[in-house]
Amino acid sequence: MITDFEALIRLLSQDSVEFILVGGIAAAAHGAARSTRDLDVVYRRSPENIARLVKALSCHAPYLRGAPPGLPFRFDRETVLRGLNFTLITDLGELDLLGEIVGGGNYEELLPYTVEVEIFGWTCRTIGLKRLIEVKRAAGRPKDLEAIAELEALLEERLKGRT
Amino acid sequence: MHETTAKPKPPSEIEDPPLPADPVIEAYKKDVDRTLLRQSLKMTVEERILSVQKLNQFIEELQRATRAK
Repeated sequence: MITDFEALIRLLSQDSVEFILVGGIAAAAHGAARSTRDLDVVYRRSPENIARLVKALSCHAPYLRGAPPGLPFRFDRETVLRGLNFTLITDLGELDLLGEIVGGGNYEELLPYTVEVEIFGWTCRTIGLKRLIEVKRAAGRPKDLEAIAELEALLEERLKGRT
Repeated sequence: MHETTAKPKPPSEIEDPPLPADPVIEAYKKDVDRTLLRQSLKMTVEERILSVQKLNQFIEELQRATRAK
């Protein structure tokens, strides 16, 4: 299934969910040319925001990605409050809801390092390019090496464009 | 859209100290196609995201076609 990034971003935005785009889609927003399959967001873990998040996704069959079918998984406020990071499949595609990320922390910690972007008629927050590089470096995953190189090249290109 | 609790920092890649160079990443950087990046930087954020989505659709169609053979 192909993730409908536009529909997911619209869905979260129209229900006023507080989230920050991170991961591959944040890299793409900054200009990275590589593909990504899922939408990664860091969400604010306030009870009000969790309620908005649950409401937004409840009609889109959220389920644990890769888990066998039929598990007694319910995506409700209690589940989100008890958990932290959820890798979900929905009828709009793959969505990773992250309470915090390695090297970046939670929503509040990440917020000062975000930039506002206009997407699909909504103003969304995405992690800043430099912070994204730092986060990917902190994660230390071998599979990220090429992506980090691309992001650093992007940063250089942007700096060149400004000077 | 968001109620912000902290004042976001403006994008300040120029003012901030540069990231320390990592020799492994520097080695990978040689293979980055900068033409693609420059092309992407001319697009809006929305266009960049839609372009990823189109690429995913193309990959899916290609995989489907390969499986059908």
